[in-house]
This record gives sequence, C-alpha cells and structure tokens, in this order.
Amino acid sequence: MNRRRFFGIALIGFSLLAILGVAIGLQQGAASNPVFRLQVRADLGTWILLGGTAIVLSLLLVVVGRNVVCHLLQQSLASAQHEYFLSRLRFIRRLDHELKNPLATIYAQLAYLSGRTGGDSLEQVQGDMLAQVERLSRLVAHLRKLAELEEQAIERLPVDVASLLHEVVEASQVHPNYAARRVHLLLPQAPWPLPAMKGDRDLLWLAFYNLLDNALKFTRPGDLIEIRASENGSSVTIEIADTGPGIAEDDLPYIFEELYRGANAQGCEGSGLGLALVQTIVKRHGGSVKVRSRPDRGTVFTLSLPIAS
Amino acid sequence: MEACRILLADDEKALTDYLAPILERAGFAVTVVHDGETALRYVLEKHPDLIVLDLLMPGLDGRQVCRQLRAAGDWTPVIMLTRVNTLVDKVSSLEEGADDYLCKPFDSHELVARIRAVLRRRRGPANQPPLIKASRLRSGDLTLDRRTRRVYRRGQPLELTPKALALLEYLMLHPDEVLTRDRLLDAVWGWDYPVATRAVDVRIAEIRQALEDDPEHPSFIETIIGIGYRFLASVEPLEDTR
Repeated sequence: MNRRRFFGIALIGFSLLAILGVAIGLQQGAASNPVFRLQVRADLGTWILLGGTAIVLSLLLVVVGRNVVCHLLQQSLASAQHEYFLSRLRFIRRLDHELKNPLATIYAQLAYLSGRTGGDSLEQVQGDMLAQVERLSRLVAHLRKLAELEEQAIERLPVDVASLLHEVVEASQVHPNYAARRVHLLLPQAPWPLPAMKGDRDLLWLAFYNLLDNALKFTRPGDLIEIRASENGSSVTIEIADTGPGIAEDDLPYIFEELYRGANAQGCEGSGLGLALVQTIVKRHGGSVKVRSRPDRGTVFTLSLPIAS
Repeated sequence: MEACRILLADDEKALTDYLAPILERAGFAVTVVHDGETALRYVLEKHPDLIVLDLLMPGLDGRQVCRQLRAAGDWTPVIMLTRVNTLVDKVSSLEEGADDYLCKPFDSHELVARIRAVLRRRRGPANQPPLIKASRLRSGDLTLDRRTRRVYRRGQPLELTPKALALLEYLMLHPDEVLTRDRLLDAVWGWDYPVATRAVDVRIAEIRQALEDDPEHPSFIETIIGIGYRFLASVEPLEDTR
C-alpha cells in the first residue's frame, strides 16, 4: 500500500516538474536563441488546465496499463497452473493404472495360496509373485531416477557427438529387430565434421539410444531408420527418423509425459518413461526435443543441443 | 565359531518381522529395535558386529545415530537402509560414516551379501575407522586423494574425468568385492538403466589406460565376465598429513 502511495505522489510530482521544465525551456529558448522563435503564451489557468489534463491522462494510462498487465499475468499463470494440474492428474491416473495390475495379481496369488490344499505349484506361484513385486519395484525405481535426474549435477565435458552416435548404432545391433530394419547413420564431413559439444556423455548416449530403440521397436520389417546430424555454429541438431507406422495425432501432445503409452505402444514392452527420460536429459543440456509424425508415413524426433551449454 | 551379532534398527515392523528370520537363517544372531535411541543405547552397551540402520526413523534417525556413534569413537560397521534414493542421501550416509547403503525396496539376499562383504572388509584390527573415512586411499604406488579429487601413480598426477575418478574411488573403497555393473551405475552415476551398463565399461577402459593396467593380466581392476569388476589390490587408508 505504501509503495503504491509513493508511486502516485512521485508520478504527480514528476508530471508537474516535466511541465514546468518544458515551460521554462520554451521561454528561455525564445529569449536567448534567435533561431528558435517558438513562443508559447497562455494564461495561468490554461497552464493549470493543461497540467491537470496531463496528470490525469498519465495516471489513467498507468492504472489501465497496470491492470491490463496484471490481468494478462494472472491469466497466463492460471493457465500454466491449470495445465500443470491436468498433467499431474493424467500422471496419477496412469500411475494408478500401472500399480493396479500387479497389485491385483498379487492379491489373487495370495488368495490362491491360502486356499491351496495340496503341494501343487507352490514354487510357480512364488516365482510369479516375485515377478510382480519386481515389476512394481522397477516402476518405483524408474520414477525416482527420473525425478533425481531433474536436479542432480550433470557432467559438462566435451563430447564427440559423431563417435557417440556410432556407438549408439553399434550397441543397437543386438536389438532383436535390428537385422530386419535398414539403419543409416548420416554424419556431415564437409566443410567440417560435427564439433564437440559440452555435456554428459553417458546421459546423451542414453537419450540417443532410447530414441533409436523406440524406432527399432515400433517400425516394421523393411522400414528405414535414419539418424542424421548437423550443426549451425551454435547448436547440434540430431534427427532420428523412421518410415514406421507413425504416432496418432491425439497421442502427440502427451508422448513426453511419464507413463504415457500411445495407441501404438499398447502391448509393447517398455516402462512408458523412455521419452520422458529423453526430454529430461535434453532439457538438462539446455536443448529441446520435438516430434513430427504422420500416420503410416513415419516419425522424426529432432533434438537440438547447444554446443556450449 | 560364534555367529556374528547384528542389530537391525527399523521402525517398519512389517519388514523386520520377515527380515530378522531371513538374516538368522543366513547364520547371523539378530536383535531388532524400532527406534534410533534404543539402537544407540544397544550399540554402546552390547557392541554388536554390525548394524543395519534405517535412515528414516522417528526420534533419532539413522543418520544421527551413525553420527553420534562415530563421534563417540565407535566404528561398528553400519549398513544404511534408505527409502529415498537420492544421490544426496547416498553421499550423506557415506559421509556420516556408514560403510554401505541399500535402497528400499531391496532383495533380502542382496542385504545378506552386503553384510558379508562389509564384515569381510572390516576384518582386521577391530573397531578401526573404515576406508570410507580416510581422505586418501593407497594401493601400492597408486594414491587417490578424495578431497582434492586427484589420483597419483608413483607420485605423478594422472588425468581422469570426474566420473572415472568417482568410479575408481568406489572400486578402491570396496576392494576384493565383485561389483556388478548395475551397482556401480547406481552408486557412481545415480541411475541404472539396463542398456547403460556400457557406460561403466567405457570409464573402466579410461581408468585402465591411465593406470596402464593390462585387462588380461590386471594388477588393479579385474573383469568378472558377465557380471562386473573387482578391485584386486589391497587398499589402505592414509593418515592425513595436514
């Protein structure tokens, strides 16, 4: 409140001073400078009237402007809050879904065990229960690691992106689908090869590998996968493109959210956290990741990473 | 031979009810307590061989118990159970003088293996500060200064990336122990994604090159095929010269 009052007084004072300054300046200018012949004559009443109008106008402008800015800020804040709220809600629903199945299975297994009469298949049930518990533990661990990654310190050392991409392609050759896809790595040589970028080599490897792994997983035999890299002096762009079935348009806005599974990914194995991980890693490097996809044509993920982050 | 006496301190009764019999079956004599104050009193009076300490407990938490024990000059080995697997927690449990940590949920067989490893590591002069408290570690002509983050071989500084140095430090803190790639990733990188274990191999190669350690005939780091790595040479803590 005090600040506002001070602001108002300062404003009025400033306006008066400004008008006074102009008046004196004009008078003196007319007297001392023969070239500057403009003279302003007015009664004192007119001056007061003009000054008053100026003050009222500037006050009005400030008040209206402030209100408009406040309103816009509030609106964008509210919509950001709402968006955050919605994405949390979606996450909790998905988490609920992921937890429900293994828990329901464990319940059923326990019921089976308590109603069991003979010594039949005890080991089988124990093994199945262990598998469900491991599935739950894995989920919890992955979520926790993703959260950790958002704040833990990452390495900032020069990384040779070209050799890293070579390594990623090499590592993916053990993927069961690798032999039935055509995987091409296209790296610039002229006028110069890719520059080294500053970052965490292991995390970048993980991000690139995840995208290539996805491409291998969701494409069909005979499909083409291209990994392309380029640079523009300030950032390196890496594209991982495929001629696969593409991602449904309805899924596209959500694929980077934790535990989201698109229509194509239903029934495919995976944690539902791969793309969230990619996005977190890229963000930690000060970069961005975008996706474009057309049903039955394919998908391209574009990573842009600053060279000196 | 008398069974090793283990104190299990965890406020989660549902867990200790099952964990205690498993540890007993593994050949340990187990005492269970459910809060930090009782744990502290028990250790100072009865001197168990090892403490399995939950980090989050009402009253005195695991970290405070560990700190008070160490401050009292008691170096009973501690394995800390953490619920929140943040790196900060791991680092701070080690800094409070815990010998190892395990994140919940864990496989009870893993806990038994860790207890055995810590007991083996701490055999030797009883109630001595563990390697984890030393600011410098020495293995033959290799010295790792944990404070200045530098490694020296025959007095000459070696060039290592921070990750490789942290990995070497972890290996030297767990000599003669087979460490899986997953565990190394978890401990040094803070994450363990199944496909990422090659990150460990890359840094091991870097360390070997710097140490001029032949993987075929290693004098420091041995590859355990299909599992991980082991630091072969013996490691001793160096007294602070300052």
